[in-house]
Amino acid sequence: MFIHKNPLLKASRYIIWYGFLLFFGYLMLLITLQYIPYNTDVAFLRIKQDVVHFWFYRVAFFSHVYTGMFVLMSGMLQFPALLRNRYRVFHRWCGWIYAILIIFITGPSGLVMGIFGNGGWISQTAFCTLAMLWVFFTWKAVVAAASGNISSHRNWMYRSYALTLSAISLRLWKWLFVLIFQPRPMDVYHIVSWLGWGGNLLIAEILIYYASKKNTKN
Amino acid sequence: MRPLLLIGGLLVFICLQSCGDGLIKNQHADTLEKMTDSNSKASTLSSRQDTNVNGEKKIIGYWVGTFKPDTSMEGISTGEYTAWDFSNKINISIDSLYEDRVIGHSVVAGNARPFKGRFKKDGSLFEFDVREPGDDKYDGEFKFYIFKGDTILNGTWKAYQKIRVPARRYTLYKRFFKYDPSLRLSGIRYVDWTKKKSKYVKDDELGNYYDETFFSTTIDVYKFNASSDLLTKEQVSNMKKADIFILRNSIYARHGYSFKNQQLRAFFDRQPWYIPVSTDVKKELTGIEKANIELLLRFEQNAKEYYDEFGRG
Repeated sequence: MFIHKNPLLKASRYIIWYGFLLFFGYLMLLITLQYIPYNTDVAFLRIKQDVVHFWFYRVAFFSHVYTGMFVLMSGMLQFPALLRNRYRVFHRWCGWIYAILIIFITGPSGLVMGIFGNGGWISQTAFCTLAMLWVFFTWKAVVAAASGNISSHRNWMYRSYALTLSAISLRLWKWLFVLIFQPRPMDVYHIVSWLGWGGNLLIAEILIYYASKKNTKN
Repeated sequence: MRPLLLIGGLLVFICLQSCGDGLIKNQHADTLEKMTDSNSKASTLSSRQDTNVNGEKKIIGYWVGTFKPDTSMEGISTGEYTAWDFSNKINISIDSLYEDRVIGHSVVAGNARPFKGRFKKDGSLFEFDVREPGDDKYDGEFKFYIFKGDTILNGTWKAYQKIRVPARRYTLYKRFFKYDPSLRLSGIRYVDWTKKKSKYVKDDELGNYYDETFFSTTIDVYKFNASSDLLTKEQVSNMKKADIFILRNSIYARHGYSFKNQQLRAFFDRQPWYIPVSTDVKKELTGIEKANIELLLRFEQNAKEYYDEFGRG
């Protein structure tokens, strides 16, 4: 991900990147653990009592929550060049786990949850768009990898993982907005439902733009 | 010329309009300060019941007012006004009079205590000396008097044990309690000065106070009435935690629940209609109120856990 000539700088960037991921991955794990053992009246579900009686919502919610961690972790392992180049089989296995989970479980369940999302149509549209783009980007990445188009595969994976990371960035934005402005809960929810993944996607596009520029130079 | 005049007139009108707003706001702030005492008097009169004590029978009932510390104590300030000066709204209920004996109970600060004692009629003066049982830390002795033909009860109280406020005094008015779901909250701000995130500000001009923008009510709390309207998820989901908290507790307050929580007392004691009557009102709650409490509690808990944390809600 970070191509740089100075090995020290490269190492420090890796440390920051993985430190960030591990720290927030840990916080996400704590959020996930609230739902173990199975309980429909805890944490986020406390304010979803109007939909939690639908069996399909429960299926969607719990499959989303329980698989989310694995998506986040398997995606995290795909970025170091070492793992990609020297342990190609490992890379492929992790990739299959990542893609299959998103395309068949975590993505579609996210769509179901998005339809019943808090905050009315503004955030519902945001979450549904997010879920559909997520599945689409991941699918494109799989197709690109299968056809051997590595740079296209990389680009689609950047986009896909940018949306995966919205699980973290959405909560981080919310925390930041509350810290500074103390807005009403649903006002901030409207904002972060778009900003949570929109911002990440923008960063991904910038990275892709510079990466492709570098490639054409070589 | 005419359009100019029109525009000028409009501008003057707008100016007056906005000035008027300011004036009204100031008036409002003024009345708030005096709210505790003056309003209890006003609402007693407005209840259209004769509260003149022209005989022993008229003594029976609720006597409500401020239970003030008899020693000077520094109050807690939240910047706008003194949030709490260790005063509580008390309800001294005289339940029965027989010969020279009096039986009653007091309700204050989440504590309902029985008392017994004697009273004597001395000319136009009724004098009371009553004692609480003594098995509670906050028990003590009340001494109060009422003039025949008057509408007020004056007195003092001394605690048996050494507690933070060992002596208090009070001027109480006869009140009639009736549950009314339409009662609305007055425009005072609830502030929880004990919250960790509140910042203690040292200010030479204003004095020291707690800066609490984080856990205090907003105008949203006056939008709904949780006793008369069935609240929806959409209405509650966009409210901040203090508003939800007060909305829920306003249900209990309308039933005359006496709050143990200091911050809640500081808020509800200032509501002119509020009378502490009981320490358990669960059985009195209506269907609408029970449903609202359940909904509000869910969002309150969610806000407590997640609003300012790394999380979704």
